[in-house]
Amino acid sequence: MIKVTREDFSVEEVIQSLRRKEVGGIVTFIGTVRGESQGRPVEHMEIEAYEEMALHDLEEIRRRALEKFRVEDAAIVHRVGTLKVSENIVLIAVAAAHREEAFDACRFILEEVKRLVPIWKKEYTLGGRSTWVRDEPTSVS
Amino acid sequence: MTIRFFASLREEIGIEREELELEKGSAITDLLVALKRTHPVLLGNENFLIAVNGVRSKVDQRLGEGDIVALLPPVSGG
Repeated sequence: MIKVTREDFSVEEVIQSLRRKEVGGIVTFIGTVRGESQGRPVEHMEIEAYEEMALHDLEEIRRRALEKFRVEDAAIVHRVGTLKVSENIVLIAVAAAHREEAFDACRFILEEVKRLVPIWKKEYTLGGRSTWVRDEPTSVS
Repeated sequence: MTIRFFASLREEIGIEREELELEKGSAITDLLVALKRTHPVLLGNENFLIAVNGVRSKVDQRLGEGDIVALLPPVSGG
């Protein structure tokens, strides 16, 4: 399952979609809106995506993870829009026969999502200040 | 072709998209020259990637009519 959505997601629904007899463990990562940024209290967050490209990139990251690790299935759901503190931002769930591969694949997917996918977060702190979150610098190739 | 701006670039330039016609055979470098002329805020800003029809592209790539060119500032998803 790959999804970019304005609505909150059901973690249980995504996990159910990965259950099958070959699976011995499902690892999940849930990113949520932190209530603090560089010492300032966060009021809310806006998330923007180039949705067509983001969906394509997420599919590709999932495909690479399934190829690289011995895992049965993986799901990535990323939200866009206005999110309050503590709301879900992203869910990555990986199902595998054994835990090591599931943990490794989950971490791989998360790092690739952060590195590549055209999604941008903007934090609004109390007092009306807003900042685009910068994780990794990139440059024109 | 259609040019799309996202996140900080969208805010700095003040628009989400614009239509532009370039001479046949133009490359991304030519597009960047044209964009810097109309949007001086891009002058000196090299901190973005270019995607043509959703695929990250190098600046020497030729552009065609109907292409969708996106300027992508550093991403921060996840």
